[in-house]
Amino acid sequence: MPRRIMVVDDSRLVRVQLEDVLKGTEYEIAAYCRSGEDAIAQYGDVRPDLVTMDIIMQGMDGLDAAEAILKDHPEARIVMVSSLAYEDTIDRAKAIGAKGFVDKPFHQEQLLRVFAQALA
Amino acid sequence: MNTAMTKEGLEQILDQALQDVTERTAGVRLCQGDQPLGEDLCTVHITFDKGFGTSLTLCADTGLLVRMAQNSFHEEAVSPEDLEEFSKEYFNVLCGKVAGAMFRATQVAAHFGPPVFTHGRYEPEGQAAQIVLTYAAEGNTEGAQLIHHVPKP
Repeated sequence: MPRRIMVVDDSRLVRVQLEDVLKGTEYEIAAYCRSGEDAIAQYGDVRPDLVTMDIIMQGMDGLDAAEAILKDHPEARIVMVSSLAYEDTIDRAKAIGAKGFVDKPFHQEQLLRVFAQALA
Repeated sequence: MNTAMTKEGLEQILDQALQDVTERTAGVRLCQGDQPLGEDLCTVHITFDKGFGTSLTLCADTGLLVRMAQNSFHEEAVSPEDLEEFSKEYFNVLCGKVAGAMFRATQVAAHFGPPVFTHGRYEPEGQAAQIVLTYAAEGNTEGAQLIHHVPKP
């Protein structure tokens, strides 16, 4: 059975890139949210195996959205997918309970490795 | 951008980030040059809102951004919405790389908001260009300028 991913990113380009990279793998995109607020609203209905979360978005940023989801759903597995891959941001992501960090622009090998670690 | 960083050091960070992200995201190689931009331009702009108080702008020939968007979406037909989406995401990634390199150099975290896209050239109010890097696409007449703005004295 495929692992269901909720993609949270305000760019359709990232959704297209993720669809490309996940084609033929054990993962499928189950839901797509264009904002942190939308992700918080949808999480309980979708119940994905994994969430990919952008950081810089219109409205609530991805770190705040991840924190809010984890507060209501501590079992959620969230991987941050962002170009802000440096200590300050990675440390904050870890502190709120994110399971991994993928640097943009991403490639398949890196993405699948972090997904597998997050779901282990 | 920061007093702990020389202008030359910042130029190097900007140049490396732009060349790397452009090639990896859109499969286009840009080389520094002094070729003037055309008349049909688009601009993406971000403001660093904490720690720096500066901004970055990419002004590019629309044809170049369209070509980059086509490569990224793997589609020949690129709508105006796609062009804006691509430009904002591309610049978001580029600025993330710049912020990361700046953090490693200065230990100051540079936070920035979502990119703003406009048609034509955009000059941020109350700011002056400190660094202007001009690029031409390899094998093409189209180009782009990456501009670092600082507050006017």
